[in-house]
Amino acid sequence: MSTEQHAGTSLNAVLQAGQRAMTPRPSNMDWLTPVRERGAASVAEMPLPSRKDEAWRYTSVGFLEQAEYQPLVEGPFDAIQLSDIDDLLLPQSQGLRLVFVNGYLATAVSDLAHQQDGIQVRSLAGGLGDVSVDLRRHLDAIAEHRHVFAALNSALMSDGALIHVDRDIVSRAPIEILHISVGMEQPGISHPRHLIVLESGARAEITERYACLGDARYFNNALVEVALGADSELLHTRLQEESPQSQHLSDLQVRLAERSRYRLVMAALGGAWSRSDVRVSFDGEGAEAELDGLMLARDQQLNDIHLDVQHKSAHCTSRETFKGILDGKGRVVFDGRIVVAEDAQKTDAQLSNDNLMLSRSSEVDTKPQLEIYADDVKCSHGTTVGELDANMMFYLRSRGIPHARAKQMLCQGFAEEVMAHIDNEPLRAYANKLLTARLAQTTE
Amino acid sequence: MTPTAKQMDDLVDKGYEHGFVTDIETEIIPPGLSEDVIRFISSKKNEPAWVLDYRLQAFTHWQTMTPPRWASVDHPPIDHQAISYFAAPKRKPELNSLDEVDPELLRTYEKLGIPIEEQKALAGVAVDAVFDSVSVATTFRQNLADAGVIFCSISEAAQEYPDLLRQYLGSVVPHTDNYYAALNAAVFTDGTFVYLPKGVRCPMELSTYFRINAQNTGQFERTLIIAEEGSHVSYLEGCTAPQRDENQLHAAVVELIAMQDAQIKYSTVQNWYPGDEEGKGGIYNFVTKRGDCRGDRSKISWTQVETGSAITWKYPSCILRGDDSVGEFYSVAVTKGRQQADTGTKMIHVGRNTTSTIVSKGISAGKGQQAYRGLVRMAQRAENARNHTQCDSLLIGDRCAAHTFPYIEVKNPTAKVEHEATTSKIGEDQLFYCRSRGLSEEDAVSLIVNGFCKEIFNELPMEFAVEAQKLLAISLEGAVG
Repeated sequence: MSTEQHAGTSLNAVLQAGQRAMTPRPSNMDWLTPVRERGAASVAEMPLPSRKDEAWRYTSVGFLEQAEYQPLVEGPFDAIQLSDIDDLLLPQSQGLRLVFVNGYLATAVSDLAHQQDGIQVRSLAGGLGDVSVDLRRHLDAIAEHRHVFAALNSALMSDGALIHVDRDIVSRAPIEILHISVGMEQPGISHPRHLIVLESGARAEITERYACLGDARYFNNALVEVALGADSELLHTRLQEESPQSQHLSDLQVRLAERSRYRLVMAALGGAWSRSDVRVSFDGEGAEAELDGLMLARDQQLNDIHLDVQHKSAHCTSRETFKGILDGKGRVVFDGRIVVAEDAQKTDAQLSNDNLMLSRSSEVDTKPQLEIYADDVKCSHGTTVGELDANMMFYLRSRGIPHARAKQMLCQGFAEEVMAHIDNEPLRAYANKLLTARLAQTTE
Repeated sequence: MTPTAKQMDDLVDKGYEHGFVTDIETEIIPPGLSEDVIRFISSKKNEPAWVLDYRLQAFTHWQTMTPPRWASVDHPPIDHQAISYFAAPKRKPELNSLDEVDPELLRTYEKLGIPIEEQKALAGVAVDAVFDSVSVATTFRQNLADAGVIFCSISEAAQEYPDLLRQYLGSVVPHTDNYYAALNAAVFTDGTFVYLPKGVRCPMELSTYFRINAQNTGQFERTLIIAEEGSHVSYLEGCTAPQRDENQLHAAVVELIAMQDAQIKYSTVQNWYPGDEEGKGGIYNFVTKRGDCRGDRSKISWTQVETGSAITWKYPSCILRGDDSVGEFYSVAVTKGRQQADTGTKMIHVGRNTTSTIVSKGISAGKGQQAYRGLVRMAQRAENARNHTQCDSLLIGDRCAAHTFPYIEVKNPTAKVEHEATTSKIGEDQLFYCRSRGLSEEDAVSLIVNGFCKEIFNELPMEFAVEAQKLLAISLEGAVG
């Protein structure tokens, strides 16, 4: 990495600057030191992904050369009031809300009133009290550093939610994690890190959002670890509504114990450059995962989702439904990998990826993959790429609906298959509103 | 070189139907690859200077390249210095009729079930039998010549049609294309050259039986088919090889060029020696096949039945340059024992209203490893282009593997791309149905597998379809249970 001495961002420089900013560390974060050291060692060893790497074939990290990203340090964000983020808040929210501003917990705008027995909610930086051993042992034990950015996150993780749900506890309301990025003079890089652990039989719902105030320019490099115990169930909704100037990289790694259920709905709508890596590992038999995602790529946007579904155990089921909408010079990259290991008999895995191209200069690169080492399995994937159906358009137009509106309706119909899976009603309404607004911008 | 009768018996006993070594004196140069070897090959074949230049240029480039590693196949590195790059039957006959062919050779063909005389009369097929590297028997040449079709070996083309060869050689697969194509360009020994003039419909199916014979000899075939405006040709290729203990490298290059309204149909049945149960021996089949639909409304169709080889690495592709041109890829691949196959196709849509169809059926048994790897690219200019891809894998046995790696790149919104893939084992209920009607398990599996592949076999010319079905049944013997 010594080759990137020229203008731009060197991850080693980011690492060093970040490490300098962290000393002296608060003593209640000492337990993190081995994790950080491991991460830092990996950063030094791992190369920056290039287009020659199969997983980065269609996704260049060239933006790092365009600006010098500075690690964001904890700033005095007390100035941010609830009224500033009013537009971003969900109505009738009954649960906990953890708001992170530029990667650091902002207690002033968080809602910590709805605590529930059996659910431990802490922050990585220690702002919400001591982190239990139950949580500590999971951190960085779930995720693999699959690229240098994940290692960088481990080395420099700023703050984040650590959530532990005890045996057989059912959370009463969704727990909301809201990231807000605020523009700084220099483009910043932040490293949010979350850990969600459900013990056996627990049930919880978590909402994870990445939003911004104004047209901030920043790079969010997030890593989320999820561990589900036997028979537990997690509903996980992710909404990426980053600023049009920003880069968003999130690595979500999930481990499923026997008979657990994981449901993920993700909508990636914002960012100039956005990539989500989702890895789901079936560690126990009989687990189920249902993953749905929507990617919107408008002018000059790149939206990339990389799925890596590891069927390691028998009798597991997974369903993946991912959809892309493209306009302007938007680009969607989809990589859906399903691996069925030798002993994972009776696996049932079905993946679909559909893409809708609205413009002449957009581009879709999609690569569903099946890697199967067992024989008694049912696996399939399907991919389509196409434009709006002329007949449908004609139907709407013949009923007096203007072209732009008709186009929007069809796009929303296309997205609905994913959006309808958001169980949380206020969130679904919010996400749909956001999608409508962004689609309206595209069809102008 | 000459095997003893005992060795012969042993080889035959091993059960590979076509595994025997023909006792023919072979002129062979010592193993190794250098400029001198290339000059030797070139002078041996009496080639024009530009061919030698082309070879040397390719060799220079090849030396700068590294073997590809992205395929999901696993083999020890190939020592290119341990391969002998030229082997020709010593008595190179100038033949007028089959009577002059070495009787030993003819017996070999009979063992393979290719009675040339009978085929001549029966099927109306002209056979250019490539024995090792030099063509020894060519039939129906006159009939074809009357129609204006040129059908000869590449070496002959270099002598007799140097202008045509020079114009088209390497124009679809340049010598810089990939590691094995570069190697082939440097050392290709022989192959087939077909030229169809404007408007000519080839009066018969053209076919070549390739057969690797001499030990330690890699086979570097080069096939070039040019179909001028409005012409039409169907070409069949089938392969068998004797049993070997050392892995043999086969790195062929096939180039097809279809001008306006021309059609080329290229069918392959490949059953080279796959190695023994432990994966010892067997052919490495690293082939570059590409068709270029240069003219409007042209069509190139690839059909392949791949049952042999220890390792197959092969992606017959179509570049759909002309408007309304059509590309097709139909494939059945069987891997069992320790066979590995990484195969698929590339459909590059450049012209308007181009369409392509991909149907790939993979059958993986025993410890077989198989991957479909394909690319469908819709360029920005490919208005209303259309692709449909279907990849199905059938798994037999719990230690086999089947992978699907499709790449889809779309830059035009009017293009429509559909890709479907499924992987499953033979349904218990299907088996039960057949068994309950008195079929043995093996017959039941054979029936189901043949049904699974029917779509592809339908694309093969009749004689090949019969052979392919037999081949599939033989391949899957003992794979069940």
